[in-house]
Amino acid sequence: MLFFKRYLLPRIVQFLVVVFVGITIVFIVPRLTPVDPVQQVINRITAQGAFLDPAAVDSMRKSLTELYGLEGSMLQQYFAFWGRLFRGDFGPSLFQFPIPVTQLIMTSLPWTAGLLISTTLISWIVGNLLGGLAGYFKDRRWAKVLDNISMVIRPIPYYIFALLLLILFAYLFPIFPSAGGYSVGRRIGFNWAFISDVLKHSFLPATSLVVLGIAANFMTMKLIVSNIVAEDYVMYAKAGGLKESKIAFKYVLKNGLLPQITGLALSLGQIFGGALITEIVFSYPGIGTLVYGAINSGDYNLIMGVTSLSVIGIAGATLIIDLLYPLFDPRIRHR
Amino acid sequence: MKRSFSIFFVSLLVLVMGFAQAGFAQLAEDIPREKTFIADVLTGRVGTPANFNVFTTAWRNPDRGVQQLMLEPLWLVDYVTGEVINALAAEGPIYNEDFTQMTVKLREGCQWSDGVPITADDIVYGIELCMQDSGMSYNAPFNLYVDKVYKTDDYTVVFEFKEPNARFHANFIDRWGGWRPFPKHIFEEAEDPLSFDFNPPISSGPYVLKDFDQAGYWTLWERREDWDKTPTGILYGMPQPEYVLFYYYGDAANKVIAQANHNLDMTDLTMEAFRAILERNEYSRGYRKEYPWVVNVDPCMTGLTLNNDVSPFDLKDVRWALTLAIDIVDYIGIAFDGAAPMGVLHVPPTPVYQEWYYKPLEEWLKNLTLDIEIDGEPFKPYDPEAPFRLVEYVKERGYDVPKEPEAIREMFGPGWWKYAPDVAEQLLLRNGFTKDANGKWLLPDGTPWKIAITAHPSPSHPQHRNSLAAAQQWRNFGIDVTVNPSEAYAALAQTGDYVVNDNWPAIEPWGGHPDLYRVLSPFRTSYYRPIGEQAVGHSSRWYNEKLDKVIEEMEKVDWDSDKNLQLGMEGLKILVEEMPTIPTFGYPGVVAWDEYYWTNYPGAENPYTQPYHHWPNFKYMLPFLRPVER
Repeated sequence: MLFFKRYLLPRIVQFLVVVFVGITIVFIVPRLTPVDPVQQVINRITAQGAFLDPAAVDSMRKSLTELYGLEGSMLQQYFAFWGRLFRGDFGPSLFQFPIPVTQLIMTSLPWTAGLLISTTLISWIVGNLLGGLAGYFKDRRWAKVLDNISMVIRPIPYYIFALLLLILFAYLFPIFPSAGGYSVGRRIGFNWAFISDVLKHSFLPATSLVVLGIAANFMTMKLIVSNIVAEDYVMYAKAGGLKESKIAFKYVLKNGLLPQITGLALSLGQIFGGALITEIVFSYPGIGTLVYGAINSGDYNLIMGVTSLSVIGIAGATLIIDLLYPLFDPRIRHR
Repeated sequence: MKRSFSIFFVSLLVLVMGFAQAGFAQLAEDIPREKTFIADVLTGRVGTPANFNVFTTAWRNPDRGVQQLMLEPLWLVDYVTGEVINALAAEGPIYNEDFTQMTVKLREGCQWSDGVPITADDIVYGIELCMQDSGMSYNAPFNLYVDKVYKTDDYTVVFEFKEPNARFHANFIDRWGGWRPFPKHIFEEAEDPLSFDFNPPISSGPYVLKDFDQAGYWTLWERREDWDKTPTGILYGMPQPEYVLFYYYGDAANKVIAQANHNLDMTDLTMEAFRAILERNEYSRGYRKEYPWVVNVDPCMTGLTLNNDVSPFDLKDVRWALTLAIDIVDYIGIAFDGAAPMGVLHVPPTPVYQEWYYKPLEEWLKNLTLDIEIDGEPFKPYDPEAPFRLVEYVKERGYDVPKEPEAIREMFGPGWWKYAPDVAEQLLLRNGFTKDANGKWLLPDGTPWKIAITAHPSPSHPQHRNSLAAAQQWRNFGIDVTVNPSEAYAALAQTGDYVVNDNWPAIEPWGGHPDLYRVLSPFRTSYYRPIGEQAVGHSSRWYNEKLDKVIEEMEKVDWDSDKNLQLGMEGLKILVEEMPTIPTFGYPGVVAWDEYYWTNYPGAENPYTQPYHHWPNFKYMLPFLRPVER
């Protein structure tokens, strides 16, 4: 009971406050920009030169404001928003009216989730494993080679690295497609032809994320482990004659992983924000371009839908990690 | 450890080699590349790929083939040939004498792709539906003007208006948008036409939907077997590609790679990307095969918009001073390496507008004087030699250009204003402006004159290039100028939250018809909205009573009449004299066409139709393309 009161309850309250404040900010900020969703719809209609009689613009603006539910004070809209949110409804997209926001998100989310969950996990596991081992066996030749490679890769700006992969493997050696999620004319289905096609299309975007992700995790973990190996308990274990592999995995890597687990949770929570640059460079489907378009068109509902999920995702991931920490860290369990 | 690494790298190699063995094919096996034409989607990834209902106010990326292949309008404008094409309409609109009634005769023999004839019932139903539902396109203008719509036979529709309107048919002219008929027999079955997805869509155009990407990157179309039952087939014959694929490739680098791999036949590019593709693909070409490459027939005029509600731009002298402080040769050199046609009117200097307006107004322009004397003579600002000065600049840059004056005017425009900083200085001085010790201009109240130009966010866009060039010119003149690119530039223009921006100096004209009502009417006094309110007309917030009279006169005459043409000229003269915004050069469209699989594009040497793949006229280009037979 004391554990619940002193450890769990404050974190659950913190989660609820973060979600409430975050979503409230998400509601207010788009409305403070000069971008008006109704005007954006009108601008879009005439952007490429279609005729719209200026005499009709005012009445069109009025009827669209009513249709989109943007009438009333900001406070009234705010309460209506929370009312919808509790029903799991973000309302219709304003720019793509009347398609529900949830439908738009569900179209893009599987691509983002598939790409980012897999690449985040791969780069986390491989990066931390290699970084941990390289930190522990830092005088070995292979550790130095890996260290040099990651020092070269890590500072490369992501956009440049992604473009490099694209030019290398989609143009100079056209092994992989330069754009899209799957081939034109391919039927979506749970079969090897489709799965291999998706893998082929996702290879370059995934590689760009994984390589830089591994390098980042590698360097962080190596630094953490470099500090841990100088701790008294490690020296004591060595002096006690324990096996190197046991010291490395049970004593050093396990302790080194604690801060990295938090990083992993936050990274996974962030996937709802998408990977905008990856999506743009590789023309890969995902939620990043969806929310980018929503911001430009002032699509309040879509912005709120995606960012609310992101707020809940990150706050939720933090909460889950906080709740799971006692399992990883006996010091918290026994506090 | 070494063994683990070996296994990892060998696995990676096998995976890569596996893909290489499979070979990279963008199209599935049953879609032959040589029978497929591939074009880029200009407006980006489709947000609602399964929805083909483009008849609502919602955005559905119509340039993914919907407007180019699937739909035929009543009329369609071609800015290259300068004609309004009768598509589903058999002839032009027929108005009664006082413009209170309009009759539309429909073309007989056209069918929807499911075999149902396209008749007056579709038009009447569509108009009435749009009037009833505020979420449907054209709800507002139809309700504003239409009293009744009915058919008198299966191929004749009559509109009766609430008040006279000589331009009502403009709502039906497809100019990258317009009201397009949709099938009554499909839509009347839909529970809610607004949320109806129209999937699979029924076409009035020569192609039907074959497939689309659930993620919104591509849409594949297949030629109709009964293509001859469409206006495209009836007017121009069979479209050559069996399939047309619209693919959104994203940024310029990706488009270059796609075309270099012969996976993109037609695309728009930035000038930098265009130069890159010319170096990498011997089959790529632009609108012109040689410099200046760009599309100089685009119906948009670029330039600078001054906020006439902000001091000192409310002064005509100041607006003219800023104009005369520009050296147009240097300006176009900075903006587009000389590759853009200059023009002084608020319409682009395309060949058709040169014939309709620039040539008839040339003498007037040459004799135009400003209210200021230089050496005792009224100052004449027009410089018909400016394009020839631009040619000298271009030659210095190492490009070959024709020598014939007519060809030069066609390519680089008919003329511009003199570079006259001394006159500009006098115009400012007489309005109380002064210069400080460093030669920088001070406002009449003694504070430094600073101009912040709100610019289009993309550095490669001609609008942004205008901002950069203007900033340089005005800095040379002694004004402190900054350029502020903003994603919200259009929204800021609408509410008047800017000083100078690079928006079009006037709403673009039809391109294929001399009527200037849509250019001039946005400057009408009744459409003026003060700063802080959303603009209804042009965002410059300039209006003029003399121009109001011209606009009112236009509304009373047939758009094909000589009187309308004369009124257009009167309107342009007022704009020149008042200079509320500054036109600079015609939009230099940069297109890249790959001739690896298809040839006979409508380039400058054979301009049989407009040259863009994203315009609805694209379907009228397809019968003229020729396969290379690879």
